[in-house]
Amino acid sequence: MSRLSEIPIRIEPPPAVGGVGGGVTAILSELITLLERLGDRQESAAIDLRSLPMSIDDLAGLRRELGEGEVRAILDAEGLSAIRETKVPGVWWVEHRDRHGELIAELIEVTRMPQILMTATEEIATGVRLLRAQLALHPVARAQ
Amino acid sequence: MPRSDLEMTVGDMLRQHGISRRGFIKFCTAAASAMALPPSVGVAMAEQLIHARRPSVLYLSFQECTGCLESLTRSFAPTIENLIFNVISLDYDDTLMAAAGEAAESARMQAMQDNFGKYVLIVDGSVPTGAGGAYCTAGGRSAVETLREAAKGAAAIVCVGTCSAFGGIPFADPNPTEAWPVMAIVGDKPIINVSGCPPIPEVITGTLLQFVTTGKVPDLDEHRRPKVFFGNTIHDRCYRRPFYDQGKFAKSFDDEGARNGWCLYELGCKGPTTYNACATVKWNGGTSFPIESGHGCIGCSEPGFWDKGSFYAAQSTALWGKAGESSPREVLELSASAVAVGGVIGVASAGASRLRQHRSAQDADQRDSNGDN
Repeated sequence: MSRLSEIPIRIEPPPAVGGVGGGVTAILSELITLLERLGDRQESAAIDLRSLPMSIDDLAGLRRELGEGEVRAILDAEGLSAIRETKVPGVWWVEHRDRHGELIAELIEVTRMPQILMTATEEIATGVRLLRAQLALHPVARAQ
Repeated sequence: MPRSDLEMTVGDMLRQHGISRRGFIKFCTAAASAMALPPSVGVAMAEQLIHARRPSVLYLSFQECTGCLESLTRSFAPTIENLIFNVISLDYDDTLMAAAGEAAESARMQAMQDNFGKYVLIVDGSVPTGAGGAYCTAGGRSAVETLREAAKGAAAIVCVGTCSAFGGIPFADPNPTEAWPVMAIVGDKPIINVSGCPPIPEVITGTLLQFVTTGKVPDLDEHRRPKVFFGNTIHDRCYRRPFYDQGKFAKSFDDEGARNGWCLYELGCKGPTTYNACATVKWNGGTSFPIESGHGCIGCSEPGFWDKGSFYAAQSTALWGKAGESSPREVLELSASAVAVGGVIGVASAGASRLRQHRSAQDADQRDSNGDN
């Protein structure tokens, strides 16, 4: 054998149902239930993709099925996080990475807006203090 | 006046290190994911932890290979540095700490005194009791003596790795050092076993984080392992499970079935009887786990895994004691005494036949290695 790349490897995908793996079908079905609950009772929910026994093919299939929507947000806190709404309104694909770029959590959130994007009440007060302090340094404000 | 380390909450530490609320929610979301908790728990965990005091943690290493600590230092979520700097106060670990000798030992004694009844004791390695405990000593004291002393003031003991949880390799037959797991020596403290050889890093840090968050010992299985990580078998959550259900098995590591990613049961995979989170949490930051890399599970998080026969014999064979070492007669006697049912004889005969094949193969290998024709 001259090179490792010459060894033929073929991975058989898991048994498919309707063009996608059984796991993908189950998640899509669960998403319908969660979206209905969000619409009817305003209840947000999330699916932790790392807790499910999904192959790489399954995950890629699910990503294809859900597609890309209009909103993309980047969160820069202890590493970058990508928060994207899928083509299904109310279904968000959230990827959290650490400072080294390693994926540390991958979720599908069913919500109007992922909670991590929203500003907390105590942070609003911090914002007021910050702006007042900045304004105090402003030449016009100091003159008054 | 600045607050002492003992008085500081997790929130204080976060502010000191310039970590934002969103950054901490993210940390907790990742930790909840690693702990197989519902994703919504991440936010609640962050809110609770911010007000919690950082517990003192002592890490004792006994008869072990340091593989567990090597594993722990490779935790991605939560990272060990995040855990050490923000959530816990690691007051003693003779491998990681800069101090050595008298200074290290006095740091341990001080931490035990200051936090008596409240500290978390992590134990790595089995405890040898042979020759008066002389097989493992540090600072002139035996492991068993140090363990008994440190256990007295512990709020809980976390046994990291199969050696401290179940005895592991030192405990394997013939156990020359008379090694024992921690729970055989300490009987009056809550013990959490985080088994594995080594355990998954996120399972170690996740167990610690859960204890710090709730202040309680998590729900444990019959082997005192946290159910959130050890509640399912590898087989239950394996992505190759559909092939098992369809009867598609690899027969050797390089056949068509192996290339197609079929089930490794017949190649000795112990996934069906092994409880651990490898198939979901995975290793190296969620990259993969042994079965995903083409090797069966060896069952390293189960008690006595080292004495359960070949890693490469199908489970039905390996469960008959030590494959290749017991004679067919011994196997028959074992099976007859274990299950007094007539029908089992047929199964035992099949097992004996496999053992004969195995032994013949071993004999042939031995002849080859001796250069016999």
